[in-house]
Amino acid sequence: MKTITFDQIKTSSIALEFDELIPDEIYSWTEADFAKYQVPIGNSRFPLTDFFEVTVEGEANGPDEVEMIINGDLNRVKYIGCKMSGGNIVCNSSVDLHVGAEMSGGSILVKGNAAAHAGREMSGGYLEIEGNTKEFTGASYIGEWRGMTGGQIVVGGNAGKQCGECLTGGKIHVKGNCDILAGIHMTKGVIEIDGDVNRWPGGQMKNGNIIIHGFLGRLLEGFVLNGIVVDPEVEGVTYEGKYIQYTGDIGLNGKGNLYLDAEANKEKLATYGELDDEYTSIREYRNL
Amino acid sequence: MEYILKNGIVYDPANEVNGEKMDVMFKDGIIVDDVSADAEVLDVTDKIVMPAGIDPHAHVAGPKLVVGRLYRPEDSRRGVTQKTKVLRSESGFSIPSCPATGYRYSRLGYGTVVEAAMPPLEAKHTHEEIATIPQIDIPAMPLFGNNWFVMEYAKDNNIEDIAAFVAAWLKLTKGYGIKIVNPCGSEAWGWGMNVHGINDKAPYFDVTSKEVVVALAKANEMLNLPHSIHIHPNDLGHPGNVPTTIETMDCVKDVKKGSKAAEIRDQVMHVCHLQFHSYTGNSWKDAASGAEEVADYINKHDHITCDIGQVTLDETTTMTADAPMEYDLFKLSGLKWANKDIECETAAGIIPCIYSAKNPVNTLQWAIGLELFLHIDDPWKVCLTTDHPNAGPFTRYPRIISWLMSNTRRMEMIENREVHKWAEKRTTLATLDREYDFYDIATISRAAPARIYGFTDKGALTPGYRADIAVYDINPNDIDPSRQYAEIEKGFNVADYTIKDGQILVKDKEIVKVKESQNVWVNVQGWEKNEEKVINNIMPFFTQYYSVKWENYPVHDHYVSNPIRIDVDGK
Amino acid sequence: MTYEPPVTDYDHIVENCTCAFCGCNCDDLDYLVKDGHVVAVRHACRLGASKIMEDMDQRLIVPMIRDENGELKEVDWDTALDKAAEYIANSIRPVFYGWSETSTETMKEGVALGEYIGAVLDNQATICHGPSLQAVQNAGYPIQTLGEVQNRADMIAYSGSNAMNSHPRHMARYAVFCRGYFRQRGRFDRTVVTMDPKFSDTAKCSDKWIGFEQNGDYGFYNAIRAVLRGKELYQDVISGIPKEDIYELAEEMKNAEFGVLFFGLGLTHTLSKQRNIDIAIKMVQDLNKYSKWGLTPMRGHFNVNGFNIFMAFECGFAFGVDYCRGYPRYMMGETNTIDLLVRKEPDCFMVIAADPGAHFPNGANQHLADIPVIQIDIHWGPSTELADVVLPGSFIGVECAGTSYRMDGVPIFMKKAIDKPETCRDDEWIVRELKERVMKLREEPNTAPKYVPNPNAL
Ligand code: SF4
Ligand SMILES: [Zn+2]
Ligand SMILES: [Zn+2]
Repeated sequence: MKTITFDQIKTSSIALEFDELIPDEIYSWTEADFAKYQVPIGNSRFPLTDFFEVTVEGEANGPDEVEMIINGDLNRVKYIGCKMSGGNIVCNSSVDLHVGAEMSGGSILVKGNAAAHAGREMSGGYLEIEGNTKEFTGASYIGEWRGMTGGQIVVGGNAGKQCGECLTGGKIHVKGNCDILAGIHMTKGVIEIDGDVNRWPGGQMKNGNIIIHGFLGRLLEGFVLNGIVVDPEVEGVTYEGKYIQYTGDIGLNGKGNLYLDAEANKEKLATYGELDDEYTSIREYRNL
Repeated sequence: MEYILKNGIVYDPANEVNGEKMDVMFKDGIIVDDVSADAEVLDVTDKIVMPAGIDPHAHVAGPKLVVGRLYRPEDSRRGVTQKTKVLRSESGFSIPSCPATGYRYSRLGYGTVVEAAMPPLEAKHTHEEIATIPQIDIPAMPLFGNNWFVMEYAKDNNIEDIAAFVAAWLKLTKGYGIKIVNPCGSEAWGWGMNVHGINDKAPYFDVTSKEVVVALAKANEMLNLPHSIHIHPNDLGHPGNVPTTIETMDCVKDVKKGSKAAEIRDQVMHVCHLQFHSYTGNSWKDAASGAEEVADYINKHDHITCDIGQVTLDETTTMTADAPMEYDLFKLSGLKWANKDIECETAAGIIPCIYSAKNPVNTLQWAIGLELFLHIDDPWKVCLTTDHPNAGPFTRYPRIISWLMSNTRRMEMIENREVHKWAEKRTTLATLDREYDFYDIATISRAAPARIYGFTDKGALTPGYRADIAVYDINPNDIDPSRQYAEIEKGFNVADYTIKDGQILVKDKEIVKVKESQNVWVNVQGWEKNEEKVINNIMPFFTQYYSVKWENYPVHDHYVSNPIRIDVDGK
Repeated sequence: MTYEPPVTDYDHIVENCTCAFCGCNCDDLDYLVKDGHVVAVRHACRLGASKIMEDMDQRLIVPMIRDENGELKEVDWDTALDKAAEYIANSIRPVFYGWSETSTETMKEGVALGEYIGAVLDNQATICHGPSLQAVQNAGYPIQTLGEVQNRADMIAYSGSNAMNSHPRHMARYAVFCRGYFRQRGRFDRTVVTMDPKFSDTAKCSDKWIGFEQNGDYGFYNAIRAVLRGKELYQDVISGIPKEDIYELAEEMKNAEFGVLFFGLGLTHTLSKQRNIDIAIKMVQDLNKYSKWGLTPMRGHFNVNGFNIFMAFECGFAFGVDYCRGYPRYMMGETNTIDLLVRKEPDCFMVIAADPGAHFPNGANQHLADIPVIQIDIHWGPSTELADVVLPGSFIGVECAGTSYRMDGVPIFMKKAIDKPETCRDDEWIVRELKERVMKLREEPNTAPKYVPNPNAL
């Protein structure tokens, strides 16, 4: 096991790019190697040791045996863990763009917030962000219709717009609230949102599952009410309670599932007709 | 500067040189018989020497390319490379950026690439891109098959005016020859429709596809253009399109070649990406190969040449002026669809396409392409293309060469189920054990396209020709292409030397020099009076129904700073 | 508007000039020239005409540098160019922004400079139709030239665009009032629908106004798509529009022979941004099952489309291209001017033929005040107040020739009609000079020692 600790000496107003400092590349590096390394900043490169003091402990024979600990203010350090396939990264601060983008294995823990594109096009591994994320969490590259294909993203706080755009697999779990258009264009995978969603989850989705435990503001016309389900099982996980289930986005002949917590969305349910305590009458309004 | 390429093994089909060990000499950009003792010696002992490659049909510059690049950043990203001291950065896989296009062709040992579809209204755009592509010569083919004026003239069977129109438009657009795409069909697409078969009429214009094709063929020969009409027939990609294809080829068999044209080329019609036009059946469920029937027609008739449009089983981008077909593809795949209709002239459709070896239809297409290569007996009638980027990117040519040279590889793919079983069940590919040799390869990628285009300065190592030469690190006397197909692909992937107009662009598999590209266009002489008359006739229409002023229509000299002008005596 | 008698006092007329204002690129203008100045313009709308007829007191005439006291001082060209080149050569995160009001010939020099030094090249799309481009990249791009619209279209929809005011001749010359080959009666042969929360001037001359609520665009188009699939709407009112109206509209659109949707910033800059366009494109694609439909973004500046086209063929990405690592990168939120400025990353900013001072959000302009700004432009504007070096260019389409691309992608050669002021230079020359001077000052950063093919492209 090898522990590589990065202690920040100074910050930079122009972002440092850490795409070359992933376990796959640096598992064999010694402190001397880090001392030689020039980190890309803008159109130039500068010695990494101007910005971080690097200490290396232990030995590693592959990326899986590496733990990177990055301390300091990382709001201008982008591409942390981008394309990594193994190992473990802990960031003791908020991080900049593209944390864990295109990662295929290993794990990243961010003890703060993450900027946009966290976990973009992930294919495996585990990314946990304790704070909030900005736009495009677990999304795809622009124009690409195959987004995140595997692995798991956990957001402790709130997620920004278009979380899980073009999701093609894997799971995103947002423990806080979620902004508009979560799971837009998704074709597979699961998005679970513990908090509230303001509008339009699942726009133009083809397939996959969105589970919302909180309140939903507006739902798109492209979703067709299927009725109430109790304790639905989605990809092997059972979610306890009553959920309103929709299928969509019908504009695309989509077969995606949207589960809305029935308690939290009583009001919405009421728009479909009189409710009895068991919500049974809703079944008569299927496929409006 | 004088150079001598020493001890190479030369394949030069135009001069019937088949694998002879000999020296090739050039001086000031021209191939010569002899050089002085000061000539620089380039040692290419036991390496393959061929004329530089000529791609007779690719889409490399122009409005549809740019739509492709603009709306597929995910493809651009796939091929991004860092700049070096010599090279600019590159991007793109199926639709490379302009610099990347030039560099990659140069690495493959190519010297000339024909841009196969140029909408006249946006010809300036095509030429701006041509000027941005380095390393290669690029003739561009203006589209005529759905042009309103041409359709009107064809309806009246007014060949003379069509000829004058073509002569004028080649000058206006700086074009090389007549390209026809889905005649009358792209016009029908203006209303969301298509034509089916060659005897169907364009709505409103009341003229059939066949009438348009025959009229343009006659006009082409009347003008003695170096290239024949270049056609993408109707019904592309539809199961059961073989009769349309054969009828298209047959409808010009009685058109007489222009007397001067007859000296430099053999055909009166070049059919492009024939693979997409050789399907039998009624739907994809029962589709099968029609390659044998189509090839048989070509074997028996000398007025037709073709290129294949070989599917390479990659993720690519399809783009064609056959816009209705692209919409059909979109309905199948649901991937992002782009379309571009151009007033009074043409249309284009674009869609990302994933050709998968696991997919029965894609496998069928792959096999049909190879079948055509193997069924058509005379390599002078067939050219190596992928209809870049439609069936795959041009960077896959070496792989196609390895398939053509190795029956072992083909059978391996079929037997190991690397491709779907339809390859065996619905085509004759598994029964064909013909293998191309290096001489055949040099024919389909050099000599034949040069002859088909009527080039009289390239495609051969004849003294007096341009010194466009490629050297590959393959020793033909020490390789069994049938077994060592991987080495063949590797060898053709990067040329050892690429020489263009006597300049060494690639050396030891690295680009060492960047050269500006040149546009090649045909200037018809002797028709000036008729051209003027035709332009005067159409002017009221133009002013009323085109959205640009006439003054803004032609390609100004500004856009073709460094052209190669081919003067043709049209009378 | 008061009556102005026609101008009769001129030396000669230059015909078929191209307007350098909006994305319509009207190429039928006649300039009346007297003593080397354009004194009147025929055929242009008021927007175009007023831009073309120079306003000499606003004109930047001589190069200037800001001195220690913060005053702009006149200097000679060499001094100004050297100073600008020094700023660029010493920068780590340069951004070259603008380009939409200059020629592709100038862009060619710009991309050479940008790629050499490793700059971000971006244009006005980043603040206007950037979301449209992103949507195009997600959903597709069914477009047609404006002549197609003129000749064939029998249904025109404007969404979030007030063409009457922003592109005054759009309706007259290309889309609505003009006679087309298959639409001989012009306006009478066409149905015009305006979809806009505002009852705009365009809405006033339309047959139908769909005034959906603000930020309701996505929900509205989603409902149309659902209807096109045969679904019954369950809400009575969607995004402020009664469902009956949506049924009716969907039916009308299906029955058009040739329809075109023109959309503007009203669609790109509401709540769901690029997704509004995304779903509008999808709707157009659906409509093609029933009839023929296309769309066109109403591009603002006359060559804003040109930059996107140009960059796409130069490097594969349309705008917001970051060359800092020696290869092009394009990523929203990362390589766009506004994001970079708000993050306070750039340390040198060159603005060419654009006015960030007037158009950018405050946060972005604040950072501009802190870093060296080089301005290449013809007019004095808010950006001049931010600039440290001012390089006076010349007016494309009037004082110098160049290529531009109309909103539908048709290339136009904008010719030269009069001479530029003696002390001004062509944009193309200025950027080339800068490039050459920067090349002398700094060795090319971030070149790879050897060409390495991208494994993803093999
Ligand atoms: S519509 Fe636009 S291009 Fe035409 S004259 Fe007016 S401002 Fe100029
Ligand atoms: Zn074709
Ligand atoms: Zn083609």
